[in-house]
Amino acid sequence: MDTADKNPEFSSPEITPPAAAPSPLQTNIVIESENVLAAPGSPEEQQQQPEKTPTPFQDSLRKLRRDKRAIASAVIILLFVILPIIGPPIYQHIGDIYNSPTSGSINAAVYHSPFHTELTRQDEGPSAQYWLGTDAIGRDLLARMLQGMLISLIVAVSVEIVNVVLGIGIGVLAGFFGGWIDQLLARFTDVMFAFPGLLFAILITGIFGTAADTAFSNVPLIGANGNARLIIVSLALAMTTWPLMARFVRGQTLQLKEQQFIEAARTSGTSNKQIIIRHIIPNLFSIVIVAATLDISGTIIGEAGLSFLGLGVQSPGSSIGLMINDARNLIDTHPWEILLPSIVLTLIVLAFSFLGDGLRDAFDPRAKD
Amino acid sequence: MVQFLVKRFIGLIFVIICVTFITFILGFKAPGDPIRALLGQHFDPQTYAQLKHQYGLDLPWYQQYYNYITGLFRLNFGYSIHYQGESVWDILKAGVPVSTELGFWGLILTIVIGIPTGIFSALKANTWVDTLNMGTALILYALPSFVLAVFLQLLIVWVDKWTGIEWPVSNWGNPWQYTLTDIQYKLGPILVYSAVSFAYFARLARTTMLEVLRQDYVRTARAKGLLERVVVYRHALRNALIPLVTVIGLSIGFLVVGVFFIEQIFNIPGIGTTALEAISNRDYPVIQATTVLGAVAVVFGNLIADILYSVVDPRIKAE
Amino acid sequence: MAANLLEVNNLKTYFFTRSGVVKAVDDVSFTMKPGETLGVVGESGCGKSVTALSVIRLVANPPGKIVGGEINFNGENILEKNQEEMTELRGSKISMIFQDPMTSLNPVFNVGYQIAETVKRHRKDVSSDQAWKRAVEMLDLVRIPDARRRAKNYPHEFSGGMRQRVMIAIALACNPQLLIADEPTTALDVTIQAQVLELMKGLSHEFGTAVMLITHDLGVVAGTCQQVNVMYAGGIIESAPVKQIFESPAHPYTVGLLQSIPRLDDQHGSKLTPIPGQPPDLLNPPAGCPYAARCPKVQSRCRQEKPRLMPVGRGEQVAACFYPN
Repeated sequence: MDTADKNPEFSSPEITPPAAAPSPLQTNIVIESENVLAAPGSPEEQQQQPEKTPTPFQDSLRKLRRDKRAIASAVIILLFVILPIIGPPIYQHIGDIYNSPTSGSINAAVYHSPFHTELTRQDEGPSAQYWLGTDAIGRDLLARMLQGMLISLIVAVSVEIVNVVLGIGIGVLAGFFGGWIDQLLARFTDVMFAFPGLLFAILITGIFGTAADTAFSNVPLIGANGNARLIIVSLALAMTTWPLMARFVRGQTLQLKEQQFIEAARTSGTSNKQIIIRHIIPNLFSIVIVAATLDISGTIIGEAGLSFLGLGVQSPGSSIGLMINDARNLIDTHPWEILLPSIVLTLIVLAFSFLGDGLRDAFDPRAKD
Repeated sequence: MVQFLVKRFIGLIFVIICVTFITFILGFKAPGDPIRALLGQHFDPQTYAQLKHQYGLDLPWYQQYYNYITGLFRLNFGYSIHYQGESVWDILKAGVPVSTELGFWGLILTIVIGIPTGIFSALKANTWVDTLNMGTALILYALPSFVLAVFLQLLIVWVDKWTGIEWPVSNWGNPWQYTLTDIQYKLGPILVYSAVSFAYFARLARTTMLEVLRQDYVRTARAKGLLERVVVYRHALRNALIPLVTVIGLSIGFLVVGVFFIEQIFNIPGIGTTALEAISNRDYPVIQATTVLGAVAVVFGNLIADILYSVVDPRIKAE
Repeated sequence: MAANLLEVNNLKTYFFTRSGVVKAVDDVSFTMKPGETLGVVGESGCGKSVTALSVIRLVANPPGKIVGGEINFNGENILEKNQEEMTELRGSKISMIFQDPMTSLNPVFNVGYQIAETVKRHRKDVSSDQAWKRAVEMLDLVRIPDARRRAKNYPHEFSGGMRQRVMIAIALACNPQLLIADEPTTALDVTIQAQVLELMKGLSHEFGTAVMLITHDLGVVAGTCQQVNVMYAGGIIESAPVKQIFESPAHPYTVGLLQSIPRLDDQHGSKLTPIPGQPPDLLNPPAGCPYAARCPKVQSRCRQEKPRLMPVGRGEQVAACFYPN
């Protein structure tokens, strides 16, 4: 675009859009000018400055903001993270003293806990006292739900951290240096492929589950109440997912390695380590985020599935999968008990899937509109 | 082509060896002493030693492994610990036809429903048909199978309440037989079982087809004056099927895992249920056997997919 | 004089995009006689490919659409035909070959099949055997050695130049009256380029096929074409017999083009003169002559009025310029 085409009314950065409907190109110039942080300068200077184009990252953020499904999903995920953390303390303060026939006078902190069984109040629907009702042995469903969500959250986050760290770590090394690391990774993933998805996790949790329960029951916060298995569950899930991530990262590294800017960096004397840290990893960043987000849904399903099969969190602990399994036989009498965790699980998984899709579309360099 | 297949075959043997080794080691290192669990609290050392010898558990690990491998070739998976005296194979035998039937139909449905839906969506891209298909596919794909099963069962129960139409929600009927009751039993689980996979295939088929339709050779086909349906079904489709065939091999893996969940939810007496039972009974030989069977199924499926792929893609065929 | 094979009158092909309407071909008119070889020259984005695609009606719709004009082929306005009627024409009366031979052939069918397919499509009376024989014949004609055996080979077993010959074989299999070639040699090595062009020239002579040769390379045009259309920003700005284009170019753009290519008889040490600036934005074309912003001879009239093709006083040569050479 040579300067002759510039809008002659263009004078200062604080400009308001021209009154006459501008052409799409001219509007672009105006909008970009509002982002100019540097000193305004004279009108002539402005006319000589080329338009500021947004960085690819800003571009992607903008595309993401326009994707309504992704935004809605992000909101749901935010709820999923916040509710189980601040929910229980709040919930346990709401409610009057209740006279329990079996436990005497108890306050909300007791009867709104996920572990307290109130055997006279079994299988109830939602009420003022029990906001989402109770389960077959009189436990507060909302409390259990929140606890279950917390479990899912902890497992998902820990697995993904391991996934990303190991995945990037080994994947980049395998892709960049090739050789025996690469061969090892390839053989490893081949074998993991033969143990499809959860099979390996089922095996590990099945065999080592109860031992883990006793071994880890002293770990604070997650140890007691049947949650000690979490560590084994997380470990098992992490072991089945990181090889895929590493393979993925390896593929991307191979592609990046061939690109000319790497060659340029090399010829200017950058060491391998610097190339990896400064050039390869930042470029992998967006792709890994997308893969991790899509992966989280798999992890959440995995944890729920394992608990559903009875291999994960055990009673009196709570997990979404466990809640589903517990309510299985009550489908015809009390469908609400199985419907609640199912719907919540569905929402969470869909939210992560949509967000992952949205991220992928936003960061995909080929999807230009 | 033969070279390609031979290479793959060798790779697969290696994988099976690894799988059996890992399963074996897991069983070997598993916590708890199965003999002790069997004998309970009070036992005398003699019976203990006897049993241990009977199960070959007093041998060094490499010898145990060797015995295990050679046993496998004769379909001898050892003896169950929980069900004293019964061979593992006898325990599994009943469940194998059931699980394979489930897996078989699941795969068929996945291919027969998933791929055409995807292709159809691609041809009607961005119309309401496309949005509907892909929306449904996305939801089905994201839902875990047991949740889907739950919804299905809820639906059946609900329909029963309102219309009195009964439909069984559990059990399996007779393996590989198809009377009306058999079909009634089997339809639900098979549908739920294949739902996740066929949603995946539908999405993949759509993307692949759209990608192919953008290719230059499709434009050439049109420039030749070929009718649009010939362009789509002869030129485009053949190319789109190639990547889909490879994915079929991968999906067998998911099918194997799905078996566990479906059998559990619908109370189907297949290998999955037996395996889960064995896990809670700490019956390691059975657990090992099921894992090996599962891995072999996956490996076998991949081999078939590789063969199909080399048949369909002339670029491999000619080598 | 023989009647015109192709008459394009006031063709307008626009692309409707989210950013606006791109007037890729804006009021283009030209004719072709039977057996004539017409070169269509211009830089990227000038509308030459879109013109070609419009003639054979393969413009991607959406977002493209032929919004005006007529295209008379053998006296019939083919813009009035529906797509099914067009499939009768394509491959049998009007054929097209494209730029990239590496991706233009279907990888899962052998080349003999791909040629025979055209024959069987358009000649219902021909048996499969006869169609195959014709395919082998065509491969021979385009000088693929060992044609009978190679007809069973797949595209990936041929080099780029050979694949382009296969494309030519497919295009000429049913003896069309018009062959449109969209940058057929751009993706090939220079020596192969020459071979393929020679082949096209020879075949077109032998069978009387008219050829519309689209290219950005003036050198290609010099050796093969009888008539040349120079396009710029969606319109034809000069049209003349090939000799006149090279010896006495009329439009300043054509002059600029010729000056920017190196020539064997240039003086040692003389400089290449590129044309300054960029082509105009087709989303928002300026009023007046599209070349005004870059033209060394521009006057005020040029910026206000858009010139139409007018004779420049040298026989058939026409140029869209108020002040031609």
